[in-house]
Amino acid sequence: MKRATHPAETAQVGRSVPRLESWLKVTGRAEYVHNLRLPGMLYGKIFRSTVAHGRIKRIDVAAAQALAGVYKVITSREIRDVVPDPYYGPAFHDQPILATDKVRYVGEPVAVVLASDPHVAEEAVHLIEAEYEELPAVYDEVEAMTSKAIVHDALKPAGTFPDLKHLKGRKNTNIALDFRLRRGDLPAALKRADHVFEHRFRTQQVMHTPLEPLVSVAESTESSLTIHTASQSPSFVRIEIARLLGWPENRVRVRVPFLGGGFGAKLYIKLEALVAVLSLITRRPVKIALSMEEQFFTITKHASTFRIKSAVTRDGRIVARDCEVWWNGGAYADIGPRVTQKSGFTAPGPYDIENVSIDSYALYTNLPPAGALRGFGIPQLVWAYESHTDLIARELGLDPIEFRRRNLLREGRPQATGTPMKDAALEKVLARLEALMDWKTPLERGAGSIRRGRGIAIGFKACIANTTSLAAVNVNADGSCTVYTSCVDMGQGSDTAMAQIAAEVLQIPAESVTVVHSDTDVTPFDMATLGSRSLFHSGNAVKLAAQDALNKLNQLKEELKLSADTAIADVFRKKYGMRAGSVTGTGNFIPPYTPPDENGQTANATPFWMVGASGVEIEVDTETGRVRVTRLVNVADVGTPINPKIVETQLSGAAIMQLGFTLFEKMLFDADGQLRNASLAEYKIPGFLDLPKSITNEAVTSEQTNGPFGGKGVGETATFSVSPAIANAIHDAIGVRLTELPMNPETVWKKLHAA
Amino acid sequence: MTPFELVQPATLGEALALLDAEDTRPFSGGTALMLMMKAGVLRPRRLVSLQKLGLDRIEANGGLRIGAMATLRALETSAAVRSGWPVIARALRTLSNVRVRNVATVGGALAHADPHMDLPPLLAALGARLLVSGRSGERSLPVEELYAGYLETTLKRGELVTRIEVPPMGKSSGAYLKCTTRSADDWPAVGVAVVLGDENRIFVSAATDRPTRLEDEASIEKLKIEGDSHGSAQYKKQLLRVYLKRAMDEARNASR
Repeated sequence: MKRATHPAETAQVGRSVPRLESWLKVTGRAEYVHNLRLPGMLYGKIFRSTVAHGRIKRIDVAAAQALAGVYKVITSREIRDVVPDPYYGPAFHDQPILATDKVRYVGEPVAVVLASDPHVAEEAVHLIEAEYEELPAVYDEVEAMTSKAIVHDALKPAGTFPDLKHLKGRKNTNIALDFRLRRGDLPAALKRADHVFEHRFRTQQVMHTPLEPLVSVAESTESSLTIHTASQSPSFVRIEIARLLGWPENRVRVRVPFLGGGFGAKLYIKLEALVAVLSLITRRPVKIALSMEEQFFTITKHASTFRIKSAVTRDGRIVARDCEVWWNGGAYADIGPRVTQKSGFTAPGPYDIENVSIDSYALYTNLPPAGALRGFGIPQLVWAYESHTDLIARELGLDPIEFRRRNLLREGRPQATGTPMKDAALEKVLARLEALMDWKTPLERGAGSIRRGRGIAIGFKACIANTTSLAAVNVNADGSCTVYTSCVDMGQGSDTAMAQIAAEVLQIPAESVTVVHSDTDVTPFDMATLGSRSLFHSGNAVKLAAQDALNKLNQLKEELKLSADTAIADVFRKKYGMRAGSVTGTGNFIPPYTPPDENGQTANATPFWMVGASGVEIEVDTETGRVRVTRLVNVADVGTPINPKIVETQLSGAAIMQLGFTLFEKMLFDADGQLRNASLAEYKIPGFLDLPKSITNEAVTSEQTNGPFGGKGVGETATFSVSPAIANAIHDAIGVRLTELPMNPETVWKKLHAA
Repeated sequence: MTPFELVQPATLGEALALLDAEDTRPFSGGTALMLMMKAGVLRPRRLVSLQKLGLDRIEANGGLRIGAMATLRALETSAAVRSGWPVIARALRTLSNVRVRNVATVGGALAHADPHMDLPPLLAALGARLLVSGRSGERSLPVEELYAGYLETTLKRGELVTRIEVPPMGKSSGAYLKCTTRSADDWPAVGVAVVLGDENRIFVSAATDRPTRLEDEASIEKLKIEGDSHGSAQYKKQLLRVYLKRAMDEARNASR
């Protein structure tokens, strides 16, 4: 492998080390599961439900089975011969490996055709016929609260999360979780308030659109199983597959090479249980690679409705906030209940508010399942509370930045959960945004049909807790270093960051470190690569492991009576009389956490806070409603940037992704729950021509005191505030308020001409 | 995609004979055809490649003669086009991307009959005619008469568009504008081509199922438009009003 090697004189952390894998990627040699072919491998193609909710009456696979080249057609009947209770999921065991008895959304997998030629398998899928007894369906998250259409006959919490236990066996409900938080006395505060404001905001269902669609390959013997998969959570996959099969974990191996993007789409179980069982049935390797189109039927981002109400004093202090949020989880819970709670508790925003009430509901509906998407629910919340906050400032005639500053949570003050704020540079981020936006200088307002405006927003996020990361660091006989972690590099640059952290401890060049990719037979447990947790959790584990290795090396030097500056290779040579041996350090990181009480109160809700603010300058074409973002400024608290260049690209990438969700991305469903735009010809994501002319990304000077070398996560931070900043700027430019995403030209034009 | 046979005839006569058959499609650049085959919309058993027929010449001799197999990129970068028909070169720069323009052909872009495409309204506004060849001989027709509806042409089985003839622009000037309502690289919601000269020729597309001529700006109001994922009928009509006015202004200010 071609790599530059620098001397270790410079610090390893805080340096923009070029991505370790960049050479592999530009020369097309990086390993992806899509390129994997095993001898005798069968390809699976999925037959999907055409109705949103129905009982399966009949599946006729005879014609498909008879097609030349088809190896076998599998339905849930064959699956249940191997796994009698074939339901999986991180929060609820609600999702069947293949639809069993019922289908719950259009696009749900019902059968699989296996063939050595994927084109034959695909052709055969068209020959399968299924008959359903259609049932009433529900699509809207608020309607799902009271709907007669019930998606699941009984709730089946997985048992891993204590706060879901009370839901076990509950019937006649679509509410998968009802998170509740109470602080202070909301009704009293509302009653004596100078001003009360109430608004309702909505977000739409969208898709992650990783460039590499979901793909998994399984190979098996009678007693062992290896799964090669594009997954963000190999450790979870192993646990869940072992549970489904009733096997010990050491017989299931999960390997993950590079990912072509994840964004939360590749978490938990997606195709892994299916390929595992297919391989056990056929005793051959089985691969399923989804098309871009099929991803729309696999995992999405929650649509949501948020009712928010605030009491404000005459001098602009927010004294009470009432939040009711409905999350459209689709047909299977996936990680929705965690989004509902872990993001739900930040629903009042980064403000110091004495009286708070939050009700956050995870709802089942007959739409494709929703899970985590770059922000874990936070962008939906910030969209509402920062639009609402701007409307209040406007109503009170206060400068929107000044109004926010007056109410921001200060260091040490309790957030809605009661957890004191720590290492959250809210004031600094807002001040820096104000300066970069040149806020004090009036904006040129445009002429003719072009009207200009500007807007800002600030949001925050708690990191998901309770989660664990382990790591190992091997120092080899020649002094070279290998890092073992189950953190997945899906394009965010974690390999490079982990190498920098290990290198900083061992005082060697980061470029010389090798990072071994997730392989559950080799790399230690890591909860998952999600929610911006890995730099902090896996990073701390790698740092501890490197420190452990260094301590052992120092002990060895002492034992051998060698001076402290002896080269590592010489230490091993002295110890073993030849080039031999190695030293392994291990690290186990789990930050402290206190679960919330029945009012959502806890002294320790999160190991760290992320802060992200955005400001935009826009142009609105009043004749067409088209909004053009001319300037985008993202300011974040990421602690100490471990790799400043990667921090910058994470901020810009996240903001651009959110720009698409803000202005045009939307999954369009008809009245029967059929997705009308399941292709990249009809579902558009931002391209280069959609980018603002000017994008500025900045991390403020700050330190996460419990983070590795002061660092913390950054992958999601710039998604938080883009949408409300643009809505606030539209209001500034043309005087109308949009309360629903996306803000496409037609909605802007209609609103402008209805006003 | 189902398996298919690819044949590469060396003469137009051979190609026309091969095309006069069931389950057979001509294959030029393939940018649209491959997507339709992957989606299962088309399932031909045989593709007849037009690559080796020598139909890719672009000549200017007073008028412009474009071989149907000339790539969009060749048309865009042709010096003759840039000096004599600059509106074509300007429009092509906004058509998809260089990778597509390098393989997609002018004949394919016309015969595909997708109303969202840019060249049909523009060439119609320029008064271009098509040469169509079949086994029984050749015929010539104005570009707008190629279209029978959405993805439907007036070509008969075994007929091919072989050449496009664009009259000289003389003192007239032109503009082509389109408007997307999602990403910038989306298919347009409306397209408007305007050529102002002795006779004003205005064509709209994308919002209509085929390139449609308008007498003047006011005739937009009479147009029958259907709503789709790009926008409602009401909104697309508004876009047409705005973009036609802008295209007229641009054409008035353009040298040609």
